[in-house]
Formats: sequence, C-alpha cells, structure tokens
Amino acid sequence: MPEPRVRLDGERALAAELIGDDAGSWDLARRLPIEVLRKLSARGMLCAEVPARFGGLGAGSLESGELTAHVGSLCSSLRSIMTSQGMAAWAIQRLGDQEQRGRYLAELTSGALAAVAFSEPGAGSDLSAVQTQIVRSGDLVVISGEKMWVTGARYADLLVILGRLGSGGAAVVVPASAPGVEIEPITDPLGCRAAGHAGVRLDEVRLPVSSVLGGGGQALPLIFTTALSYGRLSVAWGCTGIIRACLRAAAEHAKSRQQSGQPLSQHQLVSRHLAELLVADQVSTRVCEHASRCWDSSAQDLAVAAVLAKHVSAGQAARSASAAVQVLASAGVRDGHVVARAYRDAKLMEIIEGSNEICQLILAERALAGSA
Amino acid sequence: MTAENTSGAAPVTAEDIEQALLGFLTEKIKSPVAADQDLFASGLVSSMFAMQLVVHLETEYGIAIIGPELKLDNFRTVQAMTSLVMRLRNGSPLPADA
Repeated sequence: MPEPRVRLDGERALAAELIGDDAGSWDLARRLPIEVLRKLSARGMLCAEVPARFGGLGAGSLESGELTAHVGSLCSSLRSIMTSQGMAAWAIQRLGDQEQRGRYLAELTSGALAAVAFSEPGAGSDLSAVQTQIVRSGDLVVISGEKMWVTGARYADLLVILGRLGSGGAAVVVPASAPGVEIEPITDPLGCRAAGHAGVRLDEVRLPVSSVLGGGGQALPLIFTTALSYGRLSVAWGCTGIIRACLRAAAEHAKSRQQSGQPLSQHQLVSRHLAELLVADQVSTRVCEHASRCWDSSAQDLAVAAVLAKHVSAGQAARSASAAVQVLASAGVRDGHVVARAYRDAKLMEIIEGSNEICQLILAERALAGSA
Repeated sequence: MTAENTSGAAPVTAEDIEQALLGFLTEKIKSPVAADQDLFASGLVSSMFAMQLVVHLETEYGIAIIGPELKLDNFRTVQAMTSLVMRLRNGSPLPADA
C-alpha cells in the first residue's frame, strides 16, 4: 500500500490564497475567475494524479483526494472543475494512445481547461440511450449530438465527448472552439453555481481522426465506468470537504454565539448537531481513504469502492449541511454563505455521477454477488 | 491505478491463463463458466465487473490494457481474454507510461 509521497502543501496553500474569501461572491456571480482556473491548471492542480512524465504532479489518489477535500471545503464550484479536469485527464490517460497522452496531458497541466460530456437529454445513467454519433469519414471524424449538464463546459478549451462509433463507443477530444460546437451555459443551477455547467450541442463537428482516443471502438460501459470511477472518488472527497466546512462553521458559531446567557454549544440540542458533524467528517474521510487505497493498489473492487465512497459522502454532506444551517440559523441562510452554499451544493452531490438511487442499485448488486 | 508487473508468479501458458481465468470467474460469478461462453450476452457481466476484470488481468499478468485494447470483444469470453493476455505479454514489454 503506497503511502502519500507528495503532500501537496504548496498546492493547498496556493488554493487557499487564490480562493481567499471570494467563494461566496463567486457563488453569487455564478462565475469563477478564468485566471484562477488557468493558474491552477498550470500548477497541475486540476488533475493532480497525472504522472510527472506527462507534466503532472504525480499525486496518488490519497493525497489528490485530500487536496480535493481542501478545495471542496472552500469552494465546491472550483472543486467541481477539479473533478471534471481529473476525469478528462484520466480518460485520456486510460483510453488515449502514446501521442494523445503526451499532447493532451501536457495541455491539461499547463493552463488548459477540460470538461467531460456524458449525459444527454435522453441518457443519464442509461448508456443504451446514448445517441451522440462519431462517424469516420476518411481522415476525419464527424460528431453530432447533444450533451447536458456538462460541468465546466463554460470555461473549457477541450471537451471529452462520449459517443457511439460503429458498434462500440468512443471518447473524442473536441476543442470548444471547433466549428459546429455550441455551448449554452445553464445560468440557474441549484448548487455549485459557479461551476460553469452548460449544455453542449455538436452539429457535424469535423475533426482529424487523431482526436478519437485510442482510435475508438472501446466498450461504451467500460469508457463510462472508467471515467466515472475517477469522478465518483473525486466527488466523494469533495463532499468530505463540504462536511469539514460545515463542521468548522457550526463549531465556531456555537462557541461564539450567546443564547439565553450561555454559548450555543452549551445547549444540548445544538451540541448533538456538533457531534453528528464530527461523526460525518470521520465516516466520510475513512470511506474515501478506503476507496483511494483501493485505487492506488489497483484493487479489483475499486469501482464499487468509489461508488460506496461517493454514496456515503454525498449523503453525509447533505445531512451535515442541513445541520450546519440549523445551527447557524439566521447567520447562515443567505446565498453565498459557506453553509448556505454547502446546503445547495451537497444536494447536487446526491444527484451527479450516479444518484443516490443508482449508487444503491450498484451496491445492492454487490450485496447479492457477495451472498453465495 | 497502475498496473504492477507481477508476472514472475503468474502462469505463463495460454492453458494456464485460461484455467486461472475460469476459476476466477466461477468464483466471482458463482456459477460455472465455459471458455467460449459470451459473458456479456449471457448477462453475467456488468460494467462494474468488466472494470474489475480489466484490473484483475492487469495486476495478475503485469500487462496494461489501455487505448484500443479496451474493446468489449477482448473481454467477451475467457478465450478472448486469454489471447489478449498472451498477446500483450508476448508483444512489446509493459509500456513505460502504462
């Protein structure tokens, strides 16, 4: 079991410095400053697990996860960008050929931004409904389709598009600037409001065949599960960050706010919330650590471990955010406040990268497989 | 998630690999599997398990299954997986960036 090699202390400090006290105003403005994203990309922080030989930080899943939680505790919108860029990088590393890995991973660690487009109007978790077509035409491929809820698409230079190619699947790297690409930002998402969600329309986008990762023809479910496993683990760590932010805010408030002549923390019904927040932090951290160790050691169970981590952490984050808003009460119920953001962001985390219910179906399948 | 080369302890002939895979699958799926059985058509394998298969083959045989090798046809039957392993083991050594 590899232990963390790089602590990423400098990267954590840079994130804190760049975010400062601005996460609330970014949430209200529904926009992240592009120069912050470019700086983090150039530092390799948006996809920290890219190996050093490709220009990345070469972090293991554990230390990358702790960095994700750190950023997630400060700004879930920015953490969502890390999840997207990390998924894009992982898909490229896994599906791409040598030349593609070298080219694209260098870009993703030197200022460029990427998003991953899977969901379609008629296809969320149901892969059989994916309709985006990638068709070979001589030295070109022609891509047509419509993608929904693409996190970070508003900022992205590159879009990793999942589609059908022949009887199999393919992931193709599409420059956002390519003719035929139309990006329509979603201006009113419930949570992660500054994460740059957008719909992406592809109208006969023509690209060189070399844009198709590994030449295409991979199994659609394998592409999906591969990229999504990274995404789930990243979301799980991000949720751990949300919980830590809630614990911090609730504990500080309970210590300082006086009610009926004593600090809130001395009121037992409030202190129970604090205990539950502490438990949530521990539970979520441990299940994420387990999944990251599975990832770092290539454990066979890693895909299910990522689902478990995502499911547990998202649920704990949603409950923790609700409790933290309750403890802060009127002090925390304005948009932009850390617990108000947590409340909205955490709910979204129970939906993306496999809803609670999809996660439960996968876990139930595992439960059945485990019984003789 | 990196493939570690553990080929020193792993079986080397196609027959060994096929037998080991049949044993692995029978244990995981908890029903007997034939070497030429279509695992996907028979509904025995989900995408979660397909991913598990990829990781198993990589770690067990010190290979890297990346890029175009992630075709479903390479995992459709035990025979197909066996030839994939043989081909990747006998072909170029583990790529430096696997």
